[in-house]
Amino acid sequence: MVQQGDKKGFWAGAGVLLGLGLLFLLQGVAGSLPIELFRFPLNLILLLIWVWSLVALYRRCHESKGVQWLLSMRATRLSLLFLVVIGLFFGLQTEPAATSWPVVGMLLFVQSVLGLVILRGWRNEQGVRYAFLLNHVGLWLALVGAFWGAPDREELRVAVEREVATREAYRPDGSRTLLAYEMQLRDFHLESYADGSPSSFEAEVEVAGKEVSLRVNHPYQLNFGEAVYLISYDRSASSPRYCIVEVVREPWRGVTLVGIGMMILGALSSFLVGHRGAEKPTLKTKNE
Amino acid sequence: MAGGWTIFPFVAVGVMALSVVGAVVAWCMHQRSRMAVIASLAAILLLVGFVVHLWLLLERPPLRTMGETRLWYSLFLLVAGLFTYQRWHYRPILSFSTLLSSVFLIINVLRPEIHDQTLMPALQSMWFVPHVSVYMFSYGLLGCAALLAFYGLVRPKSRPDEALQSLLTGGLSLFTIGMLSGALWAKEAWGLYWSWDPKEAWAAATWGLYLVVIHGRGWSRRMRYVVVLLAFVALQMCWYGVNYLPSAQRSVHTYNQQ
Repeated sequence: MVQQGDKKGFWAGAGVLLGLGLLFLLQGVAGSLPIELFRFPLNLILLLIWVWSLVALYRRCHESKGVQWLLSMRATRLSLLFLVVIGLFFGLQTEPAATSWPVVGMLLFVQSVLGLVILRGWRNEQGVRYAFLLNHVGLWLALVGAFWGAPDREELRVAVEREVATREAYRPDGSRTLLAYEMQLRDFHLESYADGSPSSFEAEVEVAGKEVSLRVNHPYQLNFGEAVYLISYDRSASSPRYCIVEVVREPWRGVTLVGIGMMILGALSSFLVGHRGAEKPTLKTKNE
Repeated sequence: MAGGWTIFPFVAVGVMALSVVGAVVAWCMHQRSRMAVIASLAAILLLVGFVVHLWLLLERPPLRTMGETRLWYSLFLLVAGLFTYQRWHYRPILSFSTLLSSVFLIINVLRPEIHDQTLMPALQSMWFVPHVSVYMFSYGLLGCAALLAFYGLVRPKSRPDEALQSLLTGGLSLFTIGMLSGALWAKEAWGLYWSWDPKEAWAAATWGLYLVVIHGRGWSRRMRYVVVLLAFVALQMCWYGVNYLPSAQRSVHTYNQQ
């Protein structure tokens, strides 16, 4: 019995590694994934299809060997190891490619295993498992928001001057675009320490007809998915003539935020309740 | 400007002496000893006193340089050790926490990395103190967990599993909160929750390894201890090892290297 389980696990693991190898090959041949192709609504459509597939897979085939393996602790540990591998990949390289195929594949595997585990484990005989849900759904939402929302994320740099209002913005690749509103620098406050290094700086900027103050760590939230950040300023003069701001558009921000909030609550409850809260799920469990 | 790092060697000797007394008493007594608790508590209070003194002197939380974070690490190790001893009556834990905490105190005495008073604007945030101090506390708990795992590995009869599990759960929970508070801060500072900065990347790897341990049902004790130690190695990379990697050039977390 144990022998057979090991064999099944071996083939499943070999399959996953083979898939990963193919993704590395694809990366070598075709280069990184062009994520800009996956902008809204394509990412949302794909996300819905993927979630629907996970639910269907769990409902219809949860007795199958493949799904049982995906629900096993081994698959969970493998997906966590992928997280470790991605961490090492980014931790060791000086210029990593965030959208490389193997990273995308591993992240998708992590989210898939996590999704299936949530479908199985959200309740047991004692009822709904709230701590489990906070930890696991929280992580799933945080990953989903960051992963599927990435193509819709935009960073635009704007040089905001005193003399003229501007709507000219530049993407990271250097291409130019126009904002729907104007910006103009109204005032700039700069304070320094005795050694000349800045202790605080603050820009008064008119954004879309409204005067707002921008500081490091204090962006201006234009609307739910769009915020303005102070990035840099004119260091050549004691009274800066311009400042650089960044407009960040992230429509999926809320999904990640809810996920992070749930994870924080889950971690707090784990800390306070301890490991007794982590019983083994009994529903439809057939692993190890 | 009296005090500060100049009086630190005396404070360090006092803290070490008191915590050694606590550790020795705890080791010798079969029941939980009030004397051990009092001595350990006195060591903690002395160190807290120094941290507060330094905080007032620098006019900012002493959480910016390597030397300052080591101070918190020593402190939270002692707190975590006492907490574990008080709650689970695990006798050797005070010796472990004393030993590890003393290592960092001694490093600070021999190499006090004293820095100027300035705190760069990027660090002026309400997230700064919770982000770093939650991490420091978690490092303390996970450091104790690593010591227990090592102890279990060399002396298999000791079976420190219950205390180990509690330390791992507590340490990992706080590590998670540290990481997520960092993500919220990053969103506020740069508009991005997670940018795979080298420090973040190593934090993710460390987090993943500790999660592997937590999900290691059906493992042998030995396997568990080994992976706890591996995760602790990753934690060292995340904490300071990353500063010495070439990838640190693109890191926003290297405030101690000007």
